[in-house]
Amino acid sequence: MLPLTLLRTAQNHPMLVELKNGETYNGHLVSCDNWMNINLREVICTSRDGDKFWKMPECYIRGSTIKYLRIPDEVIDMVKEETVVKARSRTDMKGRGGGQRNRGGGQSKTLDSDGDCLTVG
Amino acid sequence: MSAQGGGGGGGGGTGGAAGDQKDRKRKESILDLSKYLDKPIRVKFSGGREAAGTLKGYDPLVNLVLDDTTEYMRDSDDPYKLTEETRTLGLVVCRGTSVVLICPVDGMESIPNPFLNPET
Amino acid sequence: MMANFPPGTATLLEEIDKKLMVVLRDGRTLIGYLRSIDQFANLVLHRTIERIHVGKEYGDIPHGVLIIRGENVVLLGEVAQEKEMNMPLKKVSGNEILKARKKEQEQKTDQDKRMAKALRERGLNYIPDLSHDDMF
Repeated sequence: MLPLTLLRTAQNHPMLVELKNGETYNGHLVSCDNWMNINLREVICTSRDGDKFWKMPECYIRGSTIKYLRIPDEVIDMVKEETVVKARSRTDMKGRGGGQRNRGGGQSKTLDSDGDCLTVG
Repeated sequence: MSAQGGGGGGGGGTGGAAGDQKDRKRKESILDLSKYLDKPIRVKFSGGREAAGTLKGYDPLVNLVLDDTTEYMRDSDDPYKLTEETRTLGLVVCRGTSVVLICPVDGMESIPNPFLNPET
Repeated sequence: MMANFPPGTATLLEEIDKKLMVVLRDGRTLIGYLRSIDQFANLVLHRTIERIHVGKEYGDIPHGVLIIRGENVVLLGEVAQEKEMNMPLKKVSGNEILKARKKEQEQKTDQDKRMAKALRERGLNYIPDLSHDDMF
C-alpha cells in the first residue's frame, strides 16, 4: 500500500490538507493524480494564523505545495481490504507470467508487512 | 508530452503497449479548466500572491491567461497575510509552475469560524 | 515496486510498522506508526499524535492517519518506548498544552516587538522571527 494508493482510496472522503504555507483546507477529495495534485469540493480554507476562514465550492491544489493530508481512520482499513483483493487476483494471473508481473510480486511483499500490522495493531 | 515533462520530473521509462495505455491515462488531467473559461477564478501563487480574474485561456502546464485581474495586496511584514487593499492588473499571463491553488470566485466567501462549536 | 527502490528510501522499509517520531520542516513533532512509504519518502503515519513541548511540559494532540509529503520531513527516528516512559517531563492534556503554547507565543511576539522598537530607536533594523520565512 503506497501513500498515493491510500490517497486514491480516500476519494469521496472528507480530509484536511495543510499546505507548506500553513493554510489548511477541509473538504471532500474529488480526485487526485500521480503528482498528488488534488481537487476538493465543499471546502473551508483556514488562514495560517487560524483567524480567517473562507468557504469555496471547489478548488484545485498543486501537489507540490502540500505539507500533509489528514484522512479518516477508516480509509486505511479500506485500502487493506482492497490490496488483499488485488493481490489475490494478481496471484491468479501469475501463471501467465510476463515482464510487468515482477512488479506485482514486489508489491505483495509490502502487503505482507501490512498483513503483519493487522495482527499487531 | 510536454505536460508530463513539466509536471512529472523523473518518471520512469514507459514503452510498449502498457506504456501507451499509461500515457493515455495520464494525459487526462484531473484539472478541467474549460469549465472556468470566461468565468472569474481566484488563483493563489507560491510566495503568497493572490489574484482574481476572468479565465481567458490555459495550457496543459496550467499557464493561465486572466483578464480584468485584481491582485490582493499583502501585509508589508507578513507576505502571507492579505489586507483589504487591491490593485488592478488587467490582462495577465500566470506562470503555471507558480500556481498553488485555483478556485471559482462564484461561491467563495469569507465566513466566521465554522469550527468554534467543538473547540470551546 | 519495492524491489526497485533506490537504497536511500529502501532503508526506511525496515521501519515499517514501528513507532516513529517525525520532525517536519515547520518544526512540528509527530509520533505514529509508519505504515507505508514510497520512492519520494512520502509517509503514511497511523495513530498519529502531534507532541507539543512547552518548557518541561508536553501534550499530545491526536491526528489519526496522515499522508506526509516526503520533502517536508527533516528527521525520522524510532521511538524507544522504555525511554519514553522515563522522561523528566510532565504530561498535560492537549488543551492545556495548546494554551501554554499560545501564551509562550504571545510572550515571544511581545518580546520581538519590544526588541524591534529598542533597536529602531538605536538606528538598527530588526526583523522578528525569520524562522517562519522558511518557505521553500
